[in-house]
Amino acid sequence: MSCNPSFGGIGKGHLMREVDALDGLCGRVCDRSGVHYKVLNRCKGPAVWGLRAQIDRGLYKENMQKEILNTPLLTVREASVEDLILTEPESGHPGKCQVAGVVLGDGSTVHAGSIVLTTGTFLRGMIHIGLEMHPAGRLGDQPAIGLAQTLEKLGFAVGRLKTGTPPRLAKDTIDFSGLEEHGADNPPVPFSFLSEAVWIKPEDQLPCFLTRTTLKAQQIIYDNLHLNNHVRETTRGPRYCPSLESKVLRFPNRQHQVWLEPEGLESNVIYPQGMSMTLPPELQEQVIKSVPGLEKAKMIQPVILPHWLPLLTFKMPPVTSVLLCVIGYGVQYDFLDPRQLTASLESRLVQRLFLAGQINGTTGYEEAAAQGVIAGINACLRVHGKPPFIVSRTEGYIGVLINDLTTLGTSEPYRMFTSRVEFRMSLRPDNADARLTHRGFEEAGCVSQQRYEQAVRMRAALDDGIATLKSLQFSISKWSQLLPEVSISSSRRSPVSAFDILQYQDVSMEVLAKAVPECLDKLAQWRQLAERLKIEAAYEWCVVNQQQEIEEVRRDEALQLPEDIDYFAIDASLSAEVREKLDSSRPQTIGAVSRIPGITPAAIVNLLRFVKTNHQKTEKLKALPQSGKYLPGKMYSEKATSQRQMSAEFSEEETQSTFVKTPF
Amino acid sequence: MVRGSAAAGAGALGPPGPPGPPVPPPVPPVPGGRRDKGGGAEPESSRWARCLSSSAGVGGDTIFALSSAPGRCGVAVIRASGPGSRGALQTLTGTPKLPPPRVLALRRIRDPDTAETLDRGLVVWFPGPRSFTGEDCAELHVHGGPAVVSGVLRALGRLPGLRPADPGEFTLRAFRRGKLDLTAAEGLGDLIRAETEAQRRQALRQMEGELGQLYQRWSDTLTQALAHLEAYIDFSEDDNVEEEVLSRVDGAVRALEREIGAHLRDGRRGELLRGGVRAVIAGPPNVGKSSLLNLLCQRPAAIVSPVAGTTRDVVEVALDIGGYPLVLSDTAGLRETTDLVEREGVARARDRLCQADLVLAVLDASAVPPEPAGLGAALGALQAPPGTPCVLVLNKADLLRGDGGPLRHGCAQRPPLPPTTLLSCKTGEGLDRLLELLARELARLCGDPLCGSPSLTQSRHSRHLGGCAAALARFGRERPRDLALAAEQLRLARRELGRITGHVGAEDVLDIIFRDFCVGK
Repeated sequence: MSCNPSFGGIGKGHLMREVDALDGLCGRVCDRSGVHYKVLNRCKGPAVWGLRAQIDRGLYKENMQKEILNTPLLTVREASVEDLILTEPESGHPGKCQVAGVVLGDGSTVHAGSIVLTTGTFLRGMIHIGLEMHPAGRLGDQPAIGLAQTLEKLGFAVGRLKTGTPPRLAKDTIDFSGLEEHGADNPPVPFSFLSEAVWIKPEDQLPCFLTRTTLKAQQIIYDNLHLNNHVRETTRGPRYCPSLESKVLRFPNRQHQVWLEPEGLESNVIYPQGMSMTLPPELQEQVIKSVPGLEKAKMIQPVILPHWLPLLTFKMPPVTSVLLCVIGYGVQYDFLDPRQLTASLESRLVQRLFLAGQINGTTGYEEAAAQGVIAGINACLRVHGKPPFIVSRTEGYIGVLINDLTTLGTSEPYRMFTSRVEFRMSLRPDNADARLTHRGFEEAGCVSQQRYEQAVRMRAALDDGIATLKSLQFSISKWSQLLPEVSISSSRRSPVSAFDILQYQDVSMEVLAKAVPECLDKLAQWRQLAERLKIEAAYEWCVVNQQQEIEEVRRDEALQLPEDIDYFAIDASLSAEVREKLDSSRPQTIGAVSRIPGITPAAIVNLLRFVKTNHQKTEKLKALPQSGKYLPGKMYSEKATSQRQMSAEFSEEETQSTFVKTPF
Repeated sequence: MVRGSAAAGAGALGPPGPPGPPVPPPVPPVPGGRRDKGGGAEPESSRWARCLSSSAGVGGDTIFALSSAPGRCGVAVIRASGPGSRGALQTLTGTPKLPPPRVLALRRIRDPDTAETLDRGLVVWFPGPRSFTGEDCAELHVHGGPAVVSGVLRALGRLPGLRPADPGEFTLRAFRRGKLDLTAAEGLGDLIRAETEAQRRQALRQMEGELGQLYQRWSDTLTQALAHLEAYIDFSEDDNVEEEVLSRVDGAVRALEREIGAHLRDGRRGELLRGGVRAVIAGPPNVGKSSLLNLLCQRPAAIVSPVAGTTRDVVEVALDIGGYPLVLSDTAGLRETTDLVEREGVARARDRLCQADLVLAVLDASAVPPEPAGLGAALGALQAPPGTPCVLVLNKADLLRGDGGPLRHGCAQRPPLPPTTLLSCKTGEGLDRLLELLARELARLCGDPLCGSPSLTQSRHSRHLGGCAAALARFGRERPRDLALAAEQLRLARRELGRITGHVGAEDVLDIIFRDFCVGK
């Protein structure tokens, strides 16, 4: 955890549940490392509950390392990666070459059947503090320049993004007495489906505090814009406000929230969330002291740690090292246009090279973890020659994330929001296991037997529970008699089932079990089951109504487009504009085509027709021996290369902030 | 109604009702039923696969569309595809007996609600998979007038589980079922391109008008309300999204629901083609209003006499003029009177005049001043509601001295006069000209079917607006219970409206969120 000391949140908590359902580590480790667990959006409906926790950095590192180092058959090496070992491409897959290993900083090599590259913000990272710029991935860490050059030489379209982090404060210099205290949940809700409870006693959890900036901070920022290269906003900046400077510039004359978050049980470090800034250090100090409660606060003194670049070979979840970064700074770094990836996160240019995390233009631990688990699974499946493991948009937030990235690309650090998800009513944090665990077990082999069995048990119990509730039917008047405290208003004559009654706001399984104990006592006693039944009942109507749409999306997603299709060359009635859009997005299914803005229904039909004729020809060709040889380098036409230019956002000083493709 | 709702359990959504505790919707039928399948034998994976889709209706919804070129033509072909095609054909032909597969049969086609005959036409039944789309299909070959076509489309649209097809949807379905015959598909893309192009042009035309601006404004309001609600869901606890946002959203949604509801009840242009244009014959007593009615409907529907004030009540006939439905009302002559019955007749005439879509003002050609200013004054005396289109008929042309030159000249002097014609109900002179004028006005009122299919567009519009209003009503009910469910209703509402005004994507919502709120890490 190199940035904020927290995991989860709205939308992000959904991702964590899904990562956990696929047996990813971060949920379980957070359940053993948190110091303040809180479900956000508690009063807004279970579909948008956001599981979140403040995490003790030290504990997280310790627990994560324990997990990784105790993973059987896994060898861990720590080193910087300077280059990729490339060989001739294998036929039948797109790509001009394939990766066979990496070259480390000391010149030694590691060979691998597939590689997952998770460079974080290290790829040609540049740290900005005031007017100063330092090449670095994080404060104190060397950036990865050799690797960036290699990737660029290979012809990857590269863009620039920026992010930032706030200064860290010494807890014992903060006056919390006048600040708004926010306590944690009691009982805390665990992230993992495997955790019965979290490690910490509810009453031992640490509080967070809320304070707000004043106009004085605004004044300091205004007065010193000339000292602030990083944040001179241009029109192409990200739409949300990652730094205090951009908040003040975009929404002036307001108070802006600052959350004071503990970094650990024993730690004296406070993370002031909302105060990310890139002013020179002495001015940062002034801004801090202008905030109520922080009048005497001190920034922690810098500690420089040795550099370390995360390198992951397959089947290893993303790891981040713990770093004490202490003054606020901005970092600008390279990312690769994620539209160059397939849905399995394998690069189309370099076979067996998988990319995950910030290198694909995302922000946040959870987004990175979601990609990490998918890239890891697929890197492994690729080595075994098995079909890729793809999560559909209709199955999970992970699917939405990866589908958005690989078909639409991004022009700002991509963050998960629940509003991005079409089927939010079905893709809830409570049912991630029902959506993904069986697939992870059967198709990816990444789920433990224990987790699988637990999920199967839960699913069966849910099915039986719903059946029981649906079969338990009484007239409205009988229900009113049984549940006098609930106002049941219905003109329905026919009997109403207990499942229908469970939809009412004031009705829980407990209430029902009190009314009809002989049938429902057993269901109500299993707490998790009872909670999930209640949620199933509340959302049933919506989920059923969405089903048809989900089926439609699935059907469209089932219509696969060939990987190597050259949209500029194919003989189909498509306009130049449509061809360009298809080429830059490289959709893998007709469903993805239909989500690309500006693609007409006529274009979709013409594409379908082309694919169908083409498919029939290929089938015939495949029947003949010695045919269908793949010609390397054929699939990307020159036109595609010259026309692919996407403007990234940031800062005027980065004139290279467009995707550049150089010849291989 | 929301797409597919009817298929998942007819009327599960119900009409917008008063806010209050939710009425648990009826449990949709579970096709097949999971428990009937003898559990253990089923592989785990398929059981899982269905866990999300439990109790969903199978087979999808049924689509219909005018398959022949829009506009007036000899025969129009209306096609339906999907599991509801069989029922649709049975309902519209009024008999459970289907014709033999793939054989043309002559049938009377009836409105399912009123049992009124819409047309006599040829129907074909294509049971799946031997059909164009591979699904059950039905075709209706009806007479090509816009009234017949819109009547049949309207009837289909009212059947549960049926909805108008999207552009290219038949082809897409055919493709999904592997039925896209490549020789047959030659040119299909072009056809759909033409279709969508025409729709785009039509949409543009409509969007330029007041109606378009109205829809666009609704769409903007709804998108903003949704974006603010989404901001409240995605950000409020970490960031500065205040509680007031919610009450603003509530207010905006309530206002929008009311406005769309009123619009649906009002529904001008669309209603015109459905129920016919309401035209009222108005004028002073004894100028030949009833004679005009009789002349137009070619039968003595109204009593005519030389006595002023013969017509006391409103006489109504339905006509087809130039392919457009017209409901023509003859009214009492407008004058001050002491006769109680006649006074009531005049009052009714005035009422009718106020509701008219089109006024046929009749004056006595032999008694009006021939110059335009005088004609205008005589017309003004009728006090027709301002803004209502009008055709001025100068009757009794046979009584004009000479050739009535000055008056004929006056007729041509427009504006400020409305379209004006001389007519003799007695000799029939000038009738062709009048019919021509009427057809032109009607075309303008109903939208020109030669430039697209307004009836189809209109039925789509009111369908989607209805769906939008229903979702907004459900928003009010869900709002106190579960914000995510409430937001879902706004998403549904916007999707319905988006089918008229164009798609609004998640990024557009995020744009508004980031524009209106200071949120972020």
